[in-house]
Amino acid sequence: MIACKEDFPVYEDGLLITTRTQCYVSSFEMLGSDLQTVRTSNAIVDTTAMTVNVEVFYGTDLKNVYPQFSLVTDAKLEPKITGKVDFSDLANPKKYTVISGNRKVRKTYTVNVTVQKP
Amino acid sequence: MKYKFLSYIFFSFSLLVMMSSCKEEEYAIPTLPQKLQNDVIKRTLGPNLTGLNIEFAYAMALPKSMGKLVSAQVEASIGGAEATYMDNKSYYTNSSGVDVGIEVGSKSVNDGGKTTVTFTKDTMAATLRYFYRIPSSAKGQEVTFKFSANASNGETVTYSMGPYKIAEMDMVLDLDVKDSSAAYISIENMAVYNPTQAAANAAKIDLVYLYRVIPNVTFTHGLVAPSAKTYLPGVTLPAGVNRTAKIQKVWALRDFHLARLQYGIYIDDLDFQQLDLSTAVDYAINLRAEAGTWVETADGKYRAYIYVNSINNATKSAKISMKRYTMK
Repeated sequence: MIACKEDFPVYEDGLLITTRTQCYVSSFEMLGSDLQTVRTSNAIVDTTAMTVNVEVFYGTDLKNVYPQFSLVTDAKLEPKITGKVDFSDLANPKKYTVISGNRKVRKTYTVNVTVQKP
Repeated sequence: MKYKFLSYIFFSFSLLVMMSSCKEEEYAIPTLPQKLQNDVIKRTLGPNLTGLNIEFAYAMALPKSMGKLVSAQVEASIGGAEATYMDNKSYYTNSSGVDVGIEVGSKSVNDGGKTTVTFTKDTMAATLRYFYRIPSSAKGQEVTFKFSANASNGETVTYSMGPYKIAEMDMVLDLDVKDSSAAYISIENMAVYNPTQAAANAAKIDLVYLYRVIPNVTFTHGLVAPSAKTYLPGVTLPAGVNRTAKIQKVWALRDFHLARLQYGIYIDDLDFQQLDLSTAVDYAINLRAEAGTWVETADGKYRAYIYVNSINNATKSAKISMKRYTMK
């Protein structure tokens, strides 16, 4: 009975496709298996080079970490992070693609992890 | 036609209102049942571990004109350990919030699974606390309790509680570990050893406690499997101590039994059964007070949760407590 006008199509996971074209990572966090941060300092996000450089504590269990990306409004991440991620292969850094609100701009970020050394 | 429709709407609405209105019942003072009555509450929460108490408060009363209380007893389906008793005091809470006990009966007597208090005061109402010390023979079984009270007029009332499952877990509290001396931890024996003792129990040593201050990194207090040599700097392992283990750090899992703090969190058998340490490493460093570690022994026979109660950097030591589950 109550009809509504559809402004935006609903995308997967209930995310809206909007008109926004911005496409970048604003900040990055990495948590250990105890859900405490494993970063020694703030991660350096380079939106031009599309890299995230993060140094983690000595002894971090990199097979079981939870990365967290903060993205610009309406953007989404691919692949989705659904739980623990294995970052132990330091020679082959993991790549994540940010997709803009209008789903037209895609930027692939490389996450470079270095471990604190004694 | 229009008015007819409106009146129909009005009639339907008023019918709806009439149907949903309710009559207010007048309050009546409850009448006191003329008989002996009883009630029980269980006071302890969380899993029931061997060596701990299950505590109940058993209340019983009858009208003054009908007589007085003679005895109160509890029968457990599995006899409690020696420390099982029923308090012979009835408590009230004073204005400062403190429980004050008044002796109403003789000290409780245990006979098999039955614990009895015989009243020595002329009383018609009492609440007695019952402390069932879980015996090791009850591990993994279910225990039930039958509370009963007798009055001088011959009346008897009973109240059944349970069944309560007794956990399979074992627990040990407040083990002192110290760098390079009491540093070798055995999950199987739930004990801490010095290097000499560790050599004698080499096949059972799962973890090494150490404290290190290393420039540029944060190491401090660590629980490391003997196999993780990288994280055992300056440690010479006793002969034969070479086992591995799976270790996962946890933060803020302050189990009530282990931490004895205000947090109502309990680790139960189920947590150990569902634990997945398949990708875990063999070390945990930078441990702080109130942190913990899940551990699985190399043979997969035991899973444990080790809680760090306190740390002391100056003496390079810590106090740890452990819950351990034997896998089937």
